[in-house]
Amino acid sequence: MKVDLSTPFGRLRLKNPIGTASGTFGYGLEFAEYLDLAALGAISVKGLSRRPCHGNPPPRICETDAGMLNAIGLQNVGVDAFLADKLPELARLGATVIANVWGDTEDDYVAVVERIGADRRIAAIEMNVSCPNVVKGGMIFGNNPDALAGLVKRIRAATRHPLIVKLSPNVTDIVASARAAVDAGADALSLINTLVGLAIDIERREPKIGFTTGGLSGPAIRPVALRMVWEVRTALPKVPIFGMGGIETVEHVVEFLIAGANAVQIGTANFRDPSLAGRLVKELSVWCADHGVARVSDLVGTLKTRPRPDHFFS
Amino acid sequence: MAVNESLRVLRTTHYDEQHYSLFLSAGSIGPATRPGHFAMIQAGEGLRPYLRRAFSIADVTTVAGVPALEFVVKVVGVGTAALARFAEGTPLPVLGPLGVPFPIDDLLPTDRVALVAGGIGLAPLVLLARTLAARGIAADLFYGGRNENDILKRPEFERFLGSHRCRYATDDGSLGRRGLVTDLFTHALAGGARYRRAYACGPLPMFRALTRLLADAELEGSFAMESEMACGFGVCLGCVVPMADGRFATICKEGPCVAPSRIDWTRL
Repeated sequence: MKVDLSTPFGRLRLKNPIGTASGTFGYGLEFAEYLDLAALGAISVKGLSRRPCHGNPPPRICETDAGMLNAIGLQNVGVDAFLADKLPELARLGATVIANVWGDTEDDYVAVVERIGADRRIAAIEMNVSCPNVVKGGMIFGNNPDALAGLVKRIRAATRHPLIVKLSPNVTDIVASARAAVDAGADALSLINTLVGLAIDIERREPKIGFTTGGLSGPAIRPVALRMVWEVRTALPKVPIFGMGGIETVEHVVEFLIAGANAVQIGTANFRDPSLAGRLVKELSVWCADHGVARVSDLVGTLKTRPRPDHFFS
Repeated sequence: MAVNESLRVLRTTHYDEQHYSLFLSAGSIGPATRPGHFAMIQAGEGLRPYLRRAFSIADVTTVAGVPALEFVVKVVGVGTAALARFAEGTPLPVLGPLGVPFPIDDLLPTDRVALVAGGIGLAPLVLLARTLAARGIAADLFYGGRNENDILKRPEFERFLGSHRCRYATDDGSLGRRGLVTDLFTHALAGGARYRRAYACGPLPMFRALTRLLADAELEGSFAMESEMACGFGVCLGCVVPMADGRFATICKEGPCVAPSRIDWTRL
């Protein structure tokens, strides 16, 4: 059975729904010896800022049960070095590149996006408004729908690239964030970023991470991510969604598609196995064939739920 | 060029409750390994431990004639405990060889070098000792631990370097001199020993003390550094150390073998 993995994603048409998540995939080139970058649906590169960023002092990471905490602090080479030193090779290798961008202020975001301009080697821009590991910026926008809407409007006016907003899960109402982003002009959404967590060295009575708190990722967060994708899909039936959070296997990919993601991004699992994302593309094709699914996009948003009772007492 | 491959457990040799050597089939990692390289090993398919663990490739050797990688491991947590329990023949995912190895290509046959190990920091020095011996370069070993149980691979070091070139220090005096390995090294320098370079691996306090000793003696060093790592190939940016130039450098990519003069020890 021939399976069609192509994935309509707003104005984009991805080769397949397997992407990789910003912060877990470097600038893509680091993975070129472990998989074929051109075979992936998209790669979202490490968050780019207006100027190079050193990131947080160590210790930056620790393993937790079924996952890890990190507070890297958005260390990156800066948008100029990315465009000059990384992007040409990514383009030569045939990667579908999503530029993840961030800033401390609205002006910082605009500056990065303007620097990228109309560069056709970049398929889309993904705004990181949800990093929990920097003191300023990032999360300030992600936690407040009004601030988010203001920022998205400014970026929308500054670029013609498809605009993806990566949402923070550290909110009470993910749908409010999603609506604010889409109403302000976002073409698509990515969810979820990491959940703020804390790990403690009880002998020293110190946090295991220098920044005190860190972002939790890995299989531990998958149920939360699935729930949020499903909530946003239910509220916004048309918006393209990248789902992510703890994906390790092809079954996990299918879970996210059923919950309502059009495509997924593999995150922390790239650390554990750098060849994984490439393998998942092949495994997804096999899974679909085995299950009589001719077009992978037919899986999207097919979760069958029962009506919830509206009262518990008779 | 690193390889992501599955290697079989050939043998696990336990030295005591805390220390063991894990021998894996060498795969294509073996022939590409240089002293100071490391590998990321996945201890099983489960979620605990979740991430691969970084280990120095202690030696490239053979087990019953089969080409093997040796890892010398101290049990310090769930990863190192899990790795000790695999039956012979179990396939384990391994990524390697990784990182910047010890600089040895510039050594001349007339050079003499020092190897300084603290505790489990012996690991990367075994293959270094073997390689130096094969090239006919004289090396003195200074190796310290809490007690004699901490001193591992002694027969190998003494075979490669000559037993007269191997000196030991233990906190309790159960082997060699009582005291710290840096005391041994200080003593040697005071006695007139001169080295082209000192290669070292050990705990942070040892590195700090050794950095001062090397600076005072105007002696070049190469330290095999350690850190928690999620990926091992420069992507997670979790394993950084502060550098003298103000940057944070990843130990996995710019190390693990780094000249101590490049590190900003005041911020570490």
